[in-house]
Order: sequence, then structure tokens, then C-alpha cells
Amino acid sequence: MGIDREWVHRTPNLSALSYRFAVRTDDLSVGRQIDAALAGLRDHYETAFVEHWYSLTAAETPGGTLDVARDGQILARGQQSGDALGWVVWDVNRAAADAGADHLLFHSGAIEADGTGVLIPGASGSGKSTLTAGLVRAGLGYLTDELAALHMASGRLVPYPKPITVKRGSFAVLADIGPDACPAPGSRPWAGQEWQVAVGEGTGRAIGTPCVPGFVIVPRHDAGAATTLTPLSDTQTFFAMAVNAVNLVEHGSAGTCALGQLARGCRCFSLTFSDLDEACRLVLDLVSPETAHARAATEATAAQGGTGRAP
Amino acid sequence: MHPEPVRAEGGSRPVRREGAAAVELDDNVALYDDVGQLLIMLNSSAAVIWEGCDGRTTVDDMVRELTAAHPDDAALIGEDVRQTVRKLIELGLVVDAES
Repeated sequence: MGIDREWVHRTPNLSALSYRFAVRTDDLSVGRQIDAALAGLRDHYETAFVEHWYSLTAAETPGGTLDVARDGQILARGQQSGDALGWVVWDVNRAAADAGADHLLFHSGAIEADGTGVLIPGASGSGKSTLTAGLVRAGLGYLTDELAALHMASGRLVPYPKPITVKRGSFAVLADIGPDACPAPGSRPWAGQEWQVAVGEGTGRAIGTPCVPGFVIVPRHDAGAATTLTPLSDTQTFFAMAVNAVNLVEHGSAGTCALGQLARGCRCFSLTFSDLDEACRLVLDLVSPETAHARAATEATAAQGGTGRAP
Repeated sequence: MHPEPVRAEGGSRPVRREGAAAVELDDNVALYDDVGQLLIMLNSSAAVIWEGCDGRTTVDDMVRELTAAHPDDAALIGEDVRQTVRKLIELGLVVDAES
């Protein structure tokens, strides 16, 4: 892959479902940040044509900020590095949702637990991204935190491993996976309204494999509320997924039937929570008892100072 | 000028229009209409009426069958059936087999 002499850095070819793109920049440290953050989206078919180019360039205004463009069209000007990356991620999300001909797409997190898919649908503010991040931190396979893709032909959830987007309100509970905890080598200090947390090889956050969904968990973050998991009927689950479906109209009757199969074929629950760790323990017990047991053993060992002796 | 109200006469034989996908969920039925791009949830009573729209069963037949199955609700069933069939016709999901 050649490097245009105008740019000091470009990413490998990247893909978000069927949307293919790459990012180039005139700042090497920004380039390293972007490489690290978007590593999960590396296109396995390196010879694939790059359909869209994002460019991050030094803004004309002083202060070390960046202008963000896609295919030569400005998306945002004068952004801090973290926000510039956020703009790229946001636009890639939008484009991936528009290119969903082969997939039924949902506003939903998704993880893989022991070969079974878990959908976590919800609107912004429901806690789906935070819960997804917490479960990935606990060892489950990451598929996505915002746009779950059900491949219509195979009935499997497929990975769309964009960086996990952590909003400011969740910085405290996810500090151990934030950019300060694991900065990309040579990267600029992080500055932004959101974190874009890298996934994949070397990050400790494994990307899951395509899998048939077996669980739907509808989260509702409620500060101060007790953590409860309540079973949902097929009808309730169907509604919860339908209101979060992005392209149901495009898939029409086939999409509706797929949604019905999802509702009938999965174990479905609503999850009310205020404490992320409690919520993750409850969900792990449900979807991956082995992982839950392993974590409990690890926590017990840590509490005993690693000696195995009782306190 | 007011539009003509949709009628569900006792002798009419409503039939499900092709192009609507039906998904059974618990006692309900979710319908998706490709033409109107509508997603509708029918409760258990409406789902039974939807199933009855086969082009051979008249509205009066549906009322009789449902009344026999639910005699305690006999006073309400007739109007319920006619209203539901009218609504399905308005939504374009059902047509009169003879129209």
C-alpha cells in the first residue's frame, strides 16, 4: 500500500460491515492513535479497494486541533484529537447502517458468550454501551457496542468491532480500560468528550466470532435502583427489538420474520441496574456460567492477597 | 366531502391480502405489510379474526364461531369482529373476496 506524499500516515484498509474505508493524516502521533483505536476494523481482504477516505489534518486555527473530512468533504473543524476520532467513528457508524443490505441492523450492543450471541438493545442513555463494555472487560467476546448486525442468510450475529465508545458519564466505572490506562505507543494525550477504546489483538478485549443469538437483554440504567433481571415475553422482546431496528423497512417481511425468530428463539430479559459490576455478574451468571465462576475465583484469590489463605 | 366509511357487512368474506408477513408471538400476531410498510401487533382476539379472513368465512360466520367459543362475551363479539375487520380493511391488510 503506497503512501501519498501529502500524508505522513494512513491506516490499513478498514471495513465496517460492507463499508470500506481508510484514514490518513498529516500528524504521525494522531495516526498511531487512530491505528490503535480502529485496529478491530482491519479488513481481512487487504487487496480490497478503499471506497472512502477520511482525512485528519491540522486545523488552520492554532491550538493543535484537527479538521475532519470524508472524501474531501469537511465533517468537522477544529477538533481535539479524541473528538476528531469520534467524528470518524460516528460517520463510519452512519455509513455502515446505510450499507446494511445483507444484515438486519439494530441499535444494540452485542457480545459472544461461549459461542452464543447476546443482544443488548437500547437507545442512547439506556446503558447498553456501558454494559457491553463491562461484559467485554469481564472476558466475553466483543461484537459491537452500538450497531448489531444479524446476517439474514445465516441467522448469525457478525462482528462489527468498532472501538467501544465510552461517554463521559461512564468514565469512572470504566477507567481501567480508558485511554489513560492503555495509551497507544507514541500517541498524543487524550482529549475528547468520549473515549474510543480499542479492541482486538493485544488489547485484552477479544473480538467475538459470528454466532447465533441466544439471549436478548434490554438494559435500563437507573441510578440508585436495585439490579434486577426480569424475563420478557416473546411479544415484549419483539417490540424491544423492533423499536431498535435500523433497517426493518428495507428488509420488510423477511426482516419481520427474522425478528420473530429472534424473539421466539432467545431467552429474553429486561435488566435494571445502577451498579455496573453487579449487572455484569448477573448477566455472566446467565449467559456464561463458566466465565462467571472463573471470575469469582479470581476475585476471591485477589481478596485473599493471592496466597489462597482465608482472611 | 367525507370519505365513504369502510363496511364489514355480515355476508362479506374478507381475505388476507398477499404481501403481509404474520409472525406468531405468544397469543399475539405481528403483521408486517410490505406495501404500506406497516408493522402492526394483533392481540389474541384480533389474531383469531385475522386467521378467519380466508376468503371463505363470512363476517357472520366469524361472529357465530367466536360467540360459541366465548358465550359470556356474546354481547360484545359482534361489534368487535366488525370493527376489527373494518380496521384491517382500512389498513389494506384485508380485502373483500368478492370485490
